[in-house]
Amino acid sequence: MKNVNRFGYLFIAPFWIIFLIFSIYPVALTFYYSFTNYSGSGPAEVVGLANYKRLLTDSYFVEAFFNTWKIWGINFALQIGLALVLALIFSDMRIKMRGLAFFRSIFYLPNLITISSVALLFGILLDWQHGSLNMILLKIGLISEPINWLNEPATAQLSVSLILTWMWFGHSFIVVMAGVSGISKDYYEAALIDGANRWQTFTKITIPLLKPILLYIMITSLIGGLQLFDLPMLLTDGIGSPDGSLNTMVLYLYNQAFKYNNYGYASAVAYGLFIITLIFSAMVFKGMYRNERKPRQV
Amino acid sequence: MKKFLGILMSFILLAGVLAGCSGNSESAGSEKKDKDVDLKIWSFTDELKEPIKKFEEKNGVTVELTIVPIADYPTKLKPVLESGVGAPDVFTGEIAFLKQWVDAGYWENLSGDPYNVEEIKDKYVPYVFDLGKDQDGNVRALSWQTTPGGIFYKRSIAKEVLGTDDPAVVGKMMGSMDDVFQVAEKMKEKGYSMFPDEGSIRWFSHGQNPQPWVSEDGELNLTDEKIEFMDYAKKLRENSYTALAAEWSPSWFEAMDKPIKVKENGKEKETEVFSYVLPTWGLHSVLKTNVKESAGDWAVTNGPSPYFWGGTWLGVYHKSENKELAYDFVKMMTQDDEFLTEWAKETGDVLAYQPVTNKIKDDFSSEFLGGQNNYQFFLEQAKEIEPGIVTKYDQQLDTFYGNAVQQYVDGKKSKKDAIKEFYQKAQNAYPDLKVPKK
Repeated sequence: MKNVNRFGYLFIAPFWIIFLIFSIYPVALTFYYSFTNYSGSGPAEVVGLANYKRLLTDSYFVEAFFNTWKIWGINFALQIGLALVLALIFSDMRIKMRGLAFFRSIFYLPNLITISSVALLFGILLDWQHGSLNMILLKIGLISEPINWLNEPATAQLSVSLILTWMWFGHSFIVVMAGVSGISKDYYEAALIDGANRWQTFTKITIPLLKPILLYIMITSLIGGLQLFDLPMLLTDGIGSPDGSLNTMVLYLYNQAFKYNNYGYASAVAYGLFIITLIFSAMVFKGMYRNERKPRQV
Repeated sequence: MKKFLGILMSFILLAGVLAGCSGNSESAGSEKKDKDVDLKIWSFTDELKEPIKKFEEKNGVTVELTIVPIADYPTKLKPVLESGVGAPDVFTGEIAFLKQWVDAGYWENLSGDPYNVEEIKDKYVPYVFDLGKDQDGNVRALSWQTTPGGIFYKRSIAKEVLGTDDPAVVGKMMGSMDDVFQVAEKMKEKGYSMFPDEGSIRWFSHGQNPQPWVSEDGELNLTDEKIEFMDYAKKLRENSYTALAAEWSPSWFEAMDKPIKVKENGKEKETEVFSYVLPTWGLHSVLKTNVKESAGDWAVTNGPSPYFWGGTWLGVYHKSENKELAYDFVKMMTQDDEFLTEWAKETGDVLAYQPVTNKIKDDFSSEFLGGQNNYQFFLEQAKEIEPGIVTKYDQQLDTFYGNAVQQYVDGKKSKKDAIKEFYQKAQNAYPDLKVPKK
């Protein structure tokens, strides 16, 4: 024991104190509240598993679950697709695209804008009667009637997906580029000599070697995507209009807690969300782990 | 030495952490030697800025005003009030959450000593005074304004289409919903839009029969009049009586001052909006701030039925350590002759404090409204207001119902399905409500 210097504990104490007060305590308290009918003020009565029972049969939560997946899924497919295409163009030895740094910052820029500004901007662009998008589409004759983008379930979800793609593809692009630059040029040169075409180098060299990177993007995006809240909150009336199509899980949680004052039930929703996130992250991780264990094919 | 240094460093770090945790409560109370701020006020609008300046000059104190946007206001304020850490001494409440807050007891009981506001009860417009009461009948918050509503319209259009711009005559022409539709038809013939959007008429949906959304024993009450509103809204849409400019949208504001382009059934038409359904504060904080060219061309008159919309109450936080000064501010805002006279003349706000209103109502005239005495008009309307219809559920239920009506007007749902969904949403948000199984 003489060799142990206990002052180390004192040095890490600040972190732990803050962590306990601001992270662990609220998480534990939320867990407790999920078994009560707490209404935000006054006493909380323990009601057992009633909140969780309600959660399992709550059609609005199920709707929110599928909405979240739909919005995130479309966004993720487009985002990763776009990032890969761009990475392919910029890394191609035969095209020798210039200005990578310039484009990288341009693509990343949307990510720096605060989400409320983004919502405001698109709220104006997508305006039914006076929005630029409808104006352009009408002028070039693609549509004959203005489309009420944020008032139709399908277009509202698509709008959110596309805005998210616009915001995030730059981020994915940077990560993918980092992964691509980590791949040895030897492979590509060898492929070039062997007469492989672009598609073959892409699918046989780039994609397999990028797998860990792609999985990383997928997990972070999934966790972020399941917590989708701000855009749906700000774009329409904040309760998931039109027709509940923008009702995401976290928006639902927020409304239950802060608008309807059902703090107890909202806590149960929070834990439901936590479990869902846990399950899907575990599934993705498992996929990654299995891939790592596979014997290398020659 | 090294050891000593280690201990010292650790304690400095720790002290920093602990100070960070308790800093707020200290600065709020005992540690007043720096005397930065005497009074803290929270509100959701900037309208208190001028009164605060006057209050500071008058009393030689420093007041800190925190403005939180209305959408975040309840969520930001509630934890502060619950814990008392960094809480304001005075805070305002909008009518949408007024009922919840007076019952929650965050505001000091003004009926008791040393405030005894019951003594000056007769000086207030009754409904304003009554709305600030909690479930036990104690006054918790006061307001300086009344917020009855009317229809603001453009005089030039009225003259052209209806032959007169006299508010009394125009008001008579809109004495019932059917009359309103007749005026709307005339407007349409000349290429004008009666209202900016279908939601405009929602305040008249109570008709002559205003009922609370939720009765005292917790029953959700969708009156026939409210259901009828769906048909009226649909009729407005189907007959193209509106400019399709949703409330608070950019085109809604734009249409106040000039004709806007509307695309309907593939055709583009230009239309000017005749009237906006707004309450007292709509004049000062909505119309005046958005209208440039047509200022002076407006007038206000009644619709088919009286209504009121919004209102700001304020009171003293029950844990405030400076209650005396806090109440002084409330007093200035709600009972000070000199200040209120000035305030009313400046803003056109219709006051709830009758000694002042009685003094100024006869020779009040608004330049923006072409010299009309809107004061007298609104005071007449205020008499009709029924305070008992405000419940703590109003804001959410109004949103849900507005949604249902929109679905029906857009033709996405039948009337029956829209109402059914409204009931489902209401039940989901408030599991304790008794919702009709229709």
